[in-house]
Amino acid sequence: RSRSKSKRISGFDMAPPTSALMPGATTVPGQVPGAPPAV
Amino acid sequence: CSRLHTKPSISPTLLLSNMYQRPDMITPGVDAQGQPIDPEKMQEHFEDFYEDLFEELSKYGEIESLNVCDNLADHMVGNVYVQFREEEHAANALKNLTGRFYAGRPIIVDFSPVTDFREATCR
Repeated sequence: RSRSKSKRISGFDMAPPTSALMPGATTVPGQVPGAPPAV
Repeated sequence: CSRLHTKPSISPTLLLSNMYQRPDMITPGVDAQGQPIDPEKMQEHFEDFYEDLFEELSKYGEIESLNVCDNLADHMVGNVYVQFREEEHAANALKNLTGRFYAGRPIIVDFSPVTDFREATCR
């Protein structure tokens, strides 16, 4: 692994954006949170 | 498979439905923008997910095993199976995870009848 392991935010309790709170609109295709671009 | 699986009222094993989302879930090997994904990135993404999960679940009890379905069949894509040592740990985790979110998506958690993953294929 190249990047530092210590400061990564867990995906837990990452609330959905308010626009996605409507039923049936919760999945955003290709959404890849919690993965900062490697330098 | 299309079998109707039973949901036990108590079990040491939990099922987190569709929790892991592959970066290339739409088309294998390609991301949502149509760019090819480095297999190393995929692996890293998966490991981060696994780590998050393991850390969180460890708060509720001792984990016996943690399985992530990394396949693309609709009915079980990204399903995560976690087996605790004790049923009450699983119950505790279930209670604590219900209604929460992971990466912007609701966590769907249920007891699973699976207790032996070598035997867990549908026949």
